[in-house]
Amino acid sequence: MSFLSKLLFKNKTQEIGAAGIGSILIKGEELKRSINGVFGRSLFVRLVDSGSCNACENELAALSNPYYDLERFGIKFVASPKHADVLIITGCVTRNMLNPMLKTYENIPSPKFVITAGDCPETGGPFKDSYSVCGPVSKYLNVALHINGCPPEPETIISGFLKFMDMLKAS
Amino acid sequence: MNKIMLNKHNIGSSDFINSADNLKASGKYLLGIAASDERTLNSKFNVKYFFGGGGGIEEYCVDADESFQSMSKICPAAKMYEREIYDLFGLLPSGHPDLRPLMLYPENWDSSVHPLRKDYNNLIPDMKKYGEYKFKEILGEGIFEVLVGPVHAGIIEPGHFRFSLAGEPVLQLEIRHFWKHRGIEKVCEGKDFKETLDIISKISGDNNVNIAIGYLEAAESILNIQITERAEYIRVILAELERIWNYVRDVAWIFMDIGFALPAQNLFALQEEFMRLNKNLSGHRFLFNSLTVGGVNLDLDSAKLKAIQEAVEKVENIIKDCEEFILNSSTVLDRLEFTGKINHKTAEELSLCGISARASGLPRDSRIEFPYLIYDKLNLKPVLHDGGDVFARTVLRIKEIYVSKKIIEGLLFNLPEGDIAVACGNKPEAYKYAIGNSETSRGNAFFYIMADDNGKIFRLKYIDPSFRIWPSIQYGVLGNIIADFPLINKSLNLSYSGNDM
Ligand code: SF4
Repeated sequence: MSFLSKLLFKNKTQEIGAAGIGSILIKGEELKRSINGVFGRSLFVRLVDSGSCNACENELAALSNPYYDLERFGIKFVASPKHADVLIITGCVTRNMLNPMLKTYENIPSPKFVITAGDCPETGGPFKDSYSVCGPVSKYLNVALHINGCPPEPETIISGFLKFMDMLKAS
Repeated sequence: MNKIMLNKHNIGSSDFINSADNLKASGKYLLGIAASDERTLNSKFNVKYFFGGGGGIEEYCVDADESFQSMSKICPAAKMYEREIYDLFGLLPSGHPDLRPLMLYPENWDSSVHPLRKDYNNLIPDMKKYGEYKFKEILGEGIFEVLVGPVHAGIIEPGHFRFSLAGEPVLQLEIRHFWKHRGIEKVCEGKDFKETLDIISKISGDNNVNIAIGYLEAAESILNIQITERAEYIRVILAELERIWNYVRDVAWIFMDIGFALPAQNLFALQEEFMRLNKNLSGHRFLFNSLTVGGVNLDLDSAKLKAIQEAVEKVENIIKDCEEFILNSSTVLDRLEFTGKINHKTAEELSLCGISARASGLPRDSRIEFPYLIYDKLNLKPVLHDGGDVFARTVLRIKEIYVSKKIIEGLLFNLPEGDIAVACGNKPEAYKYAIGNSETSRGNAFFYIMADDNGKIFRLKYIDPSFRIWPSIQYGVLGNIIADFPLINKSLNLSYSGNDM
């Protein structure tokens, strides 16, 4: 059997389903219902890294791997801020990234929300007193939700999205 | 304990630059340049040049007042280091061809303030525009520019790329980095060696184990600590695991960028399994805090050893399939071969390291050149390719996964008995310094550390492999079409956070 057909017929995701990641499915389905209820369709997310160590990006990227496959629950990372509802910010906000971060935010059409991922954007982490760091994010933007962790695990980020949707529903 | 042979030479500035040509001719290459403000000790700044090649490391120490002689014209690899020193210390590299600011942007920083000087008073300039950054320009009929970044379309780090094109082919690429400059070297000053380790793991999260090993080589040599054999074995196992999952991810991105989502997702799932293995071993998906000054924080019991063995066996099976597929598919080969070629000469002039050097035929692998931990007992040979293209870099990653798997398997069931960490109450000798070097999945991580008279960090200089390699992509893309840039970029897979620091 060729490599591609081997992959097609012995699908990875089937194995993963069997490997018991029930908690993600349960959270994901709830997320989907909630997003459909509030937005009517998918939730579009744009990311800005304002000075991370790259581990936070790795975890956000992991949300697209077959174990999580976040898009099936209605959350999509988009290329342009003009398409986004939510801005996710990682990193401690360096002086050099402040402007690009704010510009990205400006370019998101209202209503728009800011979520931070990781400890860096909330507190500045170990870099908060550095000469080239001017965070935290909340100094400049209204943050709807901080997702904690260093870095937050993919499942924690999914729980974060759920919490965010609950907040929207409640308001 | 640090096994690197360091030959120290103390010389005047101009003599040294004159001999730099000879140094290069004798096969030495620049590992890095570290400046340090030692005016409180001997009323001078000094600039240390480190050269590798031929077993040991040569250190040339040059005193400087407010300027020093640039060696960029003889040794192009020195360019970025000298610009950095000009920014952070305000020492003028006289004769340097390009003195534009590097990490302290004129858009928000007053260029007369140099934060790494010891008399810097911690005053942060107001957030306003102080000047303009000038990009290089190519003029001519039909030439146009494409600007990309700093914020990119995907889930990746920020960086600015400026292409000059005539039709499809790229005529020039200029990179502007350091958007994420966090001032880590300064943050470490005055911290003790344990606190610094925590900060060091956050330089570049996906390579934190290997970078921390480089740091600990230097730190433990300053502190006179000899870690146990068991701790050395565990460090190597964790380092190789990190290398494997990094390579798996890198190959996955290559598949993604040439439109083969199915094998890519298969490899991303495999990467996820490694992250989970990490979590199982250490409680953290990236193995943060697994190492400590004096040893390691985790022990490997038989269940964990078995989990590691299963994981590396699985990775080998899947990667074998991938390799076969790449080698037998004309559509894949068509995209990878001859794309993003960095030739041997360029690699040499820019002092490349890691996969990027080995894919251009340079046998540079710190595990072999300057062995640390137990690497000298492993009889490793550098895995080389002379293609210099995306194909060479992809195939080397695959081959090195096999090597790492072999290393791990050799160690797993031969773990020596003993403690995993030793006590480290030693106070370092005042102003003692050491270097540390380790091989990450991108190339070598190099540390120069000096202690103060209080057992804290006086000066820490870290050189990330990405800092060395980034300039080479400006040569790698020439003549390629712009649509191939993401693929070329992924084939080097450099870190922005490590580069920007
Ligand atoms: S929160 Fe932790 S993982 Fe995320 S960017 Fe900061 S240091 Fe890195």
